[in-house]
Amino acid sequence: MQGFSDGGADLAQLQSTMRTIEVACTSIQMHINPTAAEATILSLAQSPQPYKACQFILENSQVANARFQAVAAIRDAAIREWSFLSNEDRRSLISFCLCFIMQHASSPEGYVQAKVSSVAAQLMKRGWLEFTAAEKEAFFYQVKQAILGAHGVDVQFIGVNFLESLISEFSPSTSSAMGLPREFHEQCRTSLELNYLKTFYFWARDAALSVTNKIIESDAVIPEVKVCTAALRLMLQILNWEFRHDTNSTKASINVFSAVVRHDNASSKRSECVLVQPGPAWCDVLISSGHVGWLLGLYAALRQKFSCKGYWLDCPIAVSARKLIVQFCSLTGSIFASDNGKMQENHMLQLLSGILQWIDPPDVVSKAIEEGKCESEMLDGCRALLSIATVTTHFVFDQLLKAIRPFGTLTLLSTLMCEVVKVLMTNNTDEETWSWEARDILLDTWTILLVPMDGSGGNALLPPEGKHAAANIFAMIVESELKVASASVANDDGDSDYLQASISAMDERLSSYALIARAAIDITIPLLTRHFSERFVRLDQGRGIIDPTETLEELYSLLLITGHVLADEGDGETPLVPTAIQTDFVDIVEAEKHPVVVLSASIIRFAEQSMDPEVRATVFSPRLMEAVIWFLARWSHTYLMPLEESKCHLSHGYDHQHQSIHSRKALLSFFGEHNQGQIVLNIIVRISTMTLMSYPGEKDLQGLTCHHLLHTLVRRKNICHKLVSLDSWRDLANAFINEKVLFLLSSANQRSLAQTLVLSASGLRNSEASNQYVRGLMVHMTTYLVELSNKKNLKSVAQQPDIIMSVSCFLERLRGAASAAEPRTQRAVYEMGISVMNPVLLLLEVYKHESAVIYLLLKFIVDWVDGQISYLEAQETASVIDFCMRLLQLYSSHNIGKISISLSSTLLSEAKTEKYKDLRALLQLLSSLCSKDLVDFSSDSIEVEGTNISQVVYFGLHIVTPLISLELLKYPKLCHDYFSLLSHILEVYPETFAQLNSDAFAHIVGTLDFGLHHQDLEVVNMCLGALKALASYHYRKMCAGKTGLGSHAAGHGNFPEGIFSRFLRSLLQLLLFEDYSPDLVSAAADALLPLILCEQGVYQRLGNELIERQANPMLKSRLANALHSLTSSNHLSSTLDRVNYQRFRKNLNSLLIEVRGFLRTM
Amino acid sequence: MSDEEHHFESKADAGASKTYPQQAGTIRKNGYIVIKARPCKVVEVSTSKTGKHGHAKCHFVGIDIFNGKKLEDIVPSSHNCDVPHVNRADYQLIDISEDGFVSLLTENGNTKDDLKLPTDENLLSQIKDGFAEGKELVVTVMSAMGEEQICALKDIGSKN
Repeated sequence: MQGFSDGGADLAQLQSTMRTIEVACTSIQMHINPTAAEATILSLAQSPQPYKACQFILENSQVANARFQAVAAIRDAAIREWSFLSNEDRRSLISFCLCFIMQHASSPEGYVQAKVSSVAAQLMKRGWLEFTAAEKEAFFYQVKQAILGAHGVDVQFIGVNFLESLISEFSPSTSSAMGLPREFHEQCRTSLELNYLKTFYFWARDAALSVTNKIIESDAVIPEVKVCTAALRLMLQILNWEFRHDTNSTKASINVFSAVVRHDNASSKRSECVLVQPGPAWCDVLISSGHVGWLLGLYAALRQKFSCKGYWLDCPIAVSARKLIVQFCSLTGSIFASDNGKMQENHMLQLLSGILQWIDPPDVVSKAIEEGKCESEMLDGCRALLSIATVTTHFVFDQLLKAIRPFGTLTLLSTLMCEVVKVLMTNNTDEETWSWEARDILLDTWTILLVPMDGSGGNALLPPEGKHAAANIFAMIVESELKVASASVANDDGDSDYLQASISAMDERLSSYALIARAAIDITIPLLTRHFSERFVRLDQGRGIIDPTETLEELYSLLLITGHVLADEGDGETPLVPTAIQTDFVDIVEAEKHPVVVLSASIIRFAEQSMDPEVRATVFSPRLMEAVIWFLARWSHTYLMPLEESKCHLSHGYDHQHQSIHSRKALLSFFGEHNQGQIVLNIIVRISTMTLMSYPGEKDLQGLTCHHLLHTLVRRKNICHKLVSLDSWRDLANAFINEKVLFLLSSANQRSLAQTLVLSASGLRNSEASNQYVRGLMVHMTTYLVELSNKKNLKSVAQQPDIIMSVSCFLERLRGAASAAEPRTQRAVYEMGISVMNPVLLLLEVYKHESAVIYLLLKFIVDWVDGQISYLEAQETASVIDFCMRLLQLYSSHNIGKISISLSSTLLSEAKTEKYKDLRALLQLLSSLCSKDLVDFSSDSIEVEGTNISQVVYFGLHIVTPLISLELLKYPKLCHDYFSLLSHILEVYPETFAQLNSDAFAHIVGTLDFGLHHQDLEVVNMCLGALKALASYHYRKMCAGKTGLGSHAAGHGNFPEGIFSRFLRSLLQLLLFEDYSPDLVSAAADALLPLILCEQGVYQRLGNELIERQANPMLKSRLANALHSLTSSNHLSSTLDRVNYQRFRKNLNSLLIEVRGFLRTM
Repeated sequence: MSDEEHHFESKADAGASKTYPQQAGTIRKNGYIVIKARPCKVVEVSTSKTGKHGHAKCHFVGIDIFNGKKLEDIVPSSHNCDVPHVNRADYQLIDISEDGFVSLLTENGNTKDDLKLPTDENLLSQIKDGFAEGKELVVTVMSAMGEEQICALKDIGSKN
């Protein structure tokens, strides 16, 4: 619709355009033919130079929506055409927008105003790096006058609002896309931060100050309140800015050892609390000018007015003021003079005394809220405490309040939280109430104060008063958790909460509890012991008389809490005994009386009772057993035969704190190898075996036992050592081999158990014994499979459900064993796989319709090959590869051209999913084979036997690719695996690629083309990588006078133009005309350069075509110049080295900025 | 250890038993199960507890392998369920008769003429079209609990 273009537009034409747009806007609102209306509006935005028409609409239209669309069109057109607008035009567009909002300051259509203001901000940013300082000044002069109130309250409000849009435009996380590289946004951000941000803050402050008195003096709501609220919001926004250029504090200058006040970035990662670190330049405006005093005074005055009409606790100005106050609590960094934190302490004390009224006295505040007062002020008070905690240490935090109260801040925190927990206990609902939120904020505050910061693992040692406070709140927390637990039994809806889910949901909360408990460990451990023994007694006495469910649930909770208090999660490492537990029990001499030993022993003794079938039936419900197993896993990871046991007397022998060392040693050695360790280990293994045998069908419980507990045990060598000598472990292994009950474990557990048992073989004396052990474990499974596959009537027998079940079970076990292969047991695992090679192929044949079994077979082979390939000698490699190829061919012959027929769409889509999973496994198999070229531990080189991995992998790909349809590539994981394999092999073995036959070649090229247009950034990246590899290989070969990709490059049959020219065309098309992420440009440049070099003639022709298509002579010459400088500027040469790639990236970036704007709309 | 140890009373004679008992907890997704006397493929298994401290039970969602209907069942996970014996055999498709029966070539060279084509238009056309185009088709016939049906077909190359 070129009609919107306003070259020499007359009034009539402008009016008709306006009417068209108005009609379109109205019809969208009435929902009459919205598609056509949208197209009309879009055509306005896309027509060249629509500014006059848009301005006309803005100024004259009575339809607010039309004005909105008009200014949106200005934005789109200006951003697109920016590079060829004159400087004059650019500035006049911005001025127009600014003037428009000022003139219409009192307009009721706020959204139009907001849009115009944001468009002004975006255009200003677009030109930010080109405008001179004087030009910017000119804009800002107008804004400043407005903000300072020269033109009345409405204009003042608009001015503040404009700055708000401007700042959010300049802040990278909220900026709008402009089709420019990231550096542009970064430069704008830096420039604004260094040159303008503080000035804006001054203006905002002055605007607020100018109206403060009027607001305080008046009892009614006056228009000035709006200005003040906006100014407060703007200040908050500025303080939320992510300050980067803290001028004189480079990170190095921070004294990391100063314990007084935390400055560094380490504290920022502890919570989501944003730290405000504007740097020393801001000291005058924020600190020394009495700004905070004014703010607190303003809020105090507002509090008095809450009874007045128009003011209430949550009225906008009160909310903004409180938010700003909380934000001030996060102020830290080099803005404070380096005077040992005095200045920051004063600042925080000032804030705290202002905030105190919101939360103190806690009981009165919480009562008022329960009686209906709004809770937001109290919650903001909690948030302020959290912020203060974030920027201080617990010591400074505690001291703050002592200046004005007889107790420390920790005590206040504890009483406040006790009140909150009390409320939480009395109205125990599932809804999220204010007490939930307050509890979470306060818990975060504790966590931040107590979490060990310096990486030494040392817990903060609280002063006695603080310790008391921690003990109090922990007792309260336990009480409330127990109450929640026993109450939850009654509402029996929890049939979906599994232990794992509930633990991970609660995990964060529980670890905060643990931190609090550890701060007063000598009080809290005995408390937990008491709670446990009370419940043990209750169970014992009430057996058969009272329903134990409530007690069971309480024990469940206690086990979770205690597990967290006593031990940390390993996260893959071996966790140490928490420092507080190591050091805080000074006067304990006898190990048996160590509170931690007493608590642990009582739980273990309780757990042991589960071995008695009668007790098990009445007490140890599956759920309680889950908690027991979880606890035992966590506990034994830390305490059972700890590694430190042997070291502790060496490293600390000379320490003067003999007492503490003694108790530490007593604790560590009590469950050590030479003390009770073996006995406890034996108990744990017996309990584990029992849960696997005596809780049939309890998958979750058995899963915990296999994945968590047993797995933890075999992770440590010294424990493996003991394990293999235990009778109980032998019993477990025997049960694994012979007991039918264990064949019934679920597949993942089956696998994990096999893996665990094989891993425990590392505890045996030598490799010979370990291999023998593994053979003993697995020989029954392999023999079974061999015998089965040798049966004459295999085909009919195999289909029986019971046979399918046994086969599946054994395959899972083989897979588990295969994934446990270590150098020490590699031989036995290798032989295990070799012995079932033939059966595997036979089973692949007979189960070809039984997708579940096929998948198990494939996964077993994948894991086995993955574990073995790097160890294999040449001969073995050849036979394994041969086997894999037979497997691939067999699989392919069963599946190619197969169509499932079913009435059920679910079954059809299941069939597709199964196929996808199979193919993914096959791709993994090929990837594993690839890795033989990279990691190889064998003694002889594989080339000796003439196995060429690249050919093998291409051959494999040849078999697999026909099965991978474009339809299947819609599965993200498969797509990902496929393209990463493809880009890897094209990068490493391009020469083999050239030898593929034309069908396979065409198929792979087809998928590359598909991948190039994929939505997933990474997939496109990998395809570009593959293209780069191919094209640069070809180009280098050509330069060396060889054929490179030969006939494939030249094109034939289906692709007359050859693959490189084809990809050159499609990549150019993508870059110039389609949507993609700016992050792709570098990768695309790296692929484009060799493509251009390969096909220079084609490139010239494509370029000319593009230029010819351009009708507008001005654009035509711009395009021609831009294309010319793509290949000529920056001294680009025709080599493929790093420097040249870099230059080309730059060139491509400038080309895209230059021409994409107008090319895309043509 | 001989394989007899793993069998529940099974005779080697395939098809002698239509169903086998199997513990509910061991039945996985993609396996088979009998729900309301119909052979089903399991498309979803979830476990839950009866009451907080009760025992686990399995919730199965199955699709009837013949008529595609969805069926559900809840079974304590330590109890046994029936698992159907699902057999599949490949035959070469020789002819499609006017009355909707197919003629199939068995492995030992006999023909099997008692199988009707599916009634569903869509499925029917998939088979008929392929056959009409002169492709050499192998059909897979699935049988369980006394019913049988064509469940897949595969093109093994054109007749020439």
